[in-house]
Amino acid sequence: MLDLTAWPRNPWSVFDELESLQADMDRAFGGWGRGRPWRRRKAYPLMNVWSSQDGLVVDAELPGVDPNDVDISVLGDELTIRGKVNAGETPEGETYHRRERPSGEFARTLRLPFRADAATVKANYKNGLLRLTVPRSEEEKPRKVAIEA
Amino acid sequence: MTDKEVTRVEDKDIERMQAPETDAVYVPDVDICENNERVLLTADMAGVDEKSVDVTVDSGVLTVEGRAQLDGPAGYKLVGQEYGVGRYRRDFTLSDAVNTEGIKARVRNGVLQVTLPKQEAVKTRKIEIEA
Repeated sequence: MLDLTAWPRNPWSVFDELESLQADMDRAFGGWGRGRPWRRRKAYPLMNVWSSQDGLVVDAELPGVDPNDVDISVLGDELTIRGKVNAGETPEGETYHRRERPSGEFARTLRLPFRADAATVKANYKNGLLRLTVPRSEEEKPRKVAIEA
Repeated sequence: MTDKEVTRVEDKDIERMQAPETDAVYVPDVDICENNERVLLTADMAGVDEKSVDVTVDSGVLTVEGRAQLDGPAGYKLVGQEYGVGRYRRDFTLSDAVNTEGIKARVRNGVLQVTLPKQEAVKTRKIEIEA
């Protein structure tokens, strides 16, 4: 049988830690993630993703990071956020009673439903939220085909 | 538990069930550290700023509360959600060692820091030994 599914062209492959988000996006884009159970796993940073014809907007929860410590890269259809958070040493004379906030280095890769151009990605950091705007290039935009009478 | 208390708990549960999803209450992750001068509480509250956060002390209980905004980009559809956006709230019982008058708070990059100075009487003092 001919596969007429034109978009997304490829089933999204999933990086291990991304399963839940990817499953969500898969569902939203039409059931590529067949039978994948919802699994709550603590990935970092946690992300919310919005989509439109223009592209994707990815919000990542990164409270307390120094924007200079965050590195964003795009390679083909892979978007990677990497950096470090709360990585300072404990000052002398401090005793910790609770340490729940994450600390250390992190890296997370999201596979996009289209190839993106790194030069067009915009990043904005405000109130602990990193917002990435990833435009879809013109040739990747879905086109409406007019039916001739 | 008295009848009155039972009713109160149930009312609260109903209130929670009826609250819209954006009104969900999240417990922020915190670090609490202490030195000789003060106790420092650090809470991750992504999405809040100094205007949307409240720190209160009432009868020895410190409450931190905040509200994050979910401003999705216009014209976009939410397709994946790993974190919820709504209210943060967490209560902490303070010991008598804290000087509640001197509590200070600030918010930066979605992180709330509350400085709780200690009462003079409980600070460790080094006693000089006379020769």
